[in-house]
Amino acid sequence: MAEKVCLQPCLGLRKEAVVGRQALYLVHEDLRPETTVLGCGPALNANVQEDVDFINMFPVLAVEACEKDCATRLVDKKGKAASRTVRVTELAEQEGVDLSGLPEGENIPTEHPAVQAVAARIAAMVDELLNAA
Amino acid sequence: MAEEQAFKVAVLPCNGIGRLVSTVVRQAAYKIKQMRPEQVELLSCGRLAVGDPEHVEIARKYPLMVIDGCRPHCASFMCDELGKTPAARIYVADVMAENKINVAGEKRRGLTAKGEKLVNALAEKAVAEVDRIIADEMLSTL
Repeated sequence: MAEKVCLQPCLGLRKEAVVGRQALYLVHEDLRPETTVLGCGPALNANVQEDVDFINMFPVLAVEACEKDCATRLVDKKGKAASRTVRVTELAEQEGVDLSGLPEGENIPTEHPAVQAVAARIAAMVDELLNAA
Repeated sequence: MAEEQAFKVAVLPCNGIGRLVSTVVRQAAYKIKQMRPEQVELLSCGRLAVGDPEHVEIARKYPLMVIDGCRPHCASFMCDELGKTPAARIYVADVMAENKINVAGEKRRGLTAKGEKLVNALAEKAVAEVDRIIADEMLSTL
């Protein structure tokens, strides 16, 4: 059984990416601090050892903002495969959260219902991955 | 005027997630775009890292400015991967030291006025570089 899950977010600048990042801060700092690590994409791309170790040691949950799935493809580029890929847009839709009114080009507070809802789903997925591994 | 607006700078912020500076760089990138909407093309590290054709083309087409948040200089690494020499590099620690800004106690999930001060200083420095690069490009065509 794996000890932790590597949360690997989309690195984009659009609002869906911001929701994903903020949700991952919630998961990593508040909801599942003992069982998650935060993978930094630019660092992984630059072969920073800690981030390379994360994807080699732990199952990867890629959290994407759009259909380009860049986080998943970045993990592929480094010779590993994400255990699971989820898209913020789909999680929000499943939770009945409308992202259309969120602002572009600024931070979105972790208290926002969209961030909270996405974070709760991701935390549950972390548990599923740990139980399955 | 139309010719002036043809001059643009591609800005590549590292846009990481692990450290406080990740948030600072991301917020500054938004501010740079707000301050120079017609002159700046913001690049996504994620799309560039996986060779997204649209972002690779932008990075190759325009002078490139990289903004590195922390010591591994990951945005610069990406620029090297592209085989492109940046027109400007900005390192957040330099901006912090130049402006004597202390961001101790700030949280990466959301900045207070202290963190915003660094965001503003970083954006101001970046925009000055954008203006310089465009001036240099324009003069080279006259």
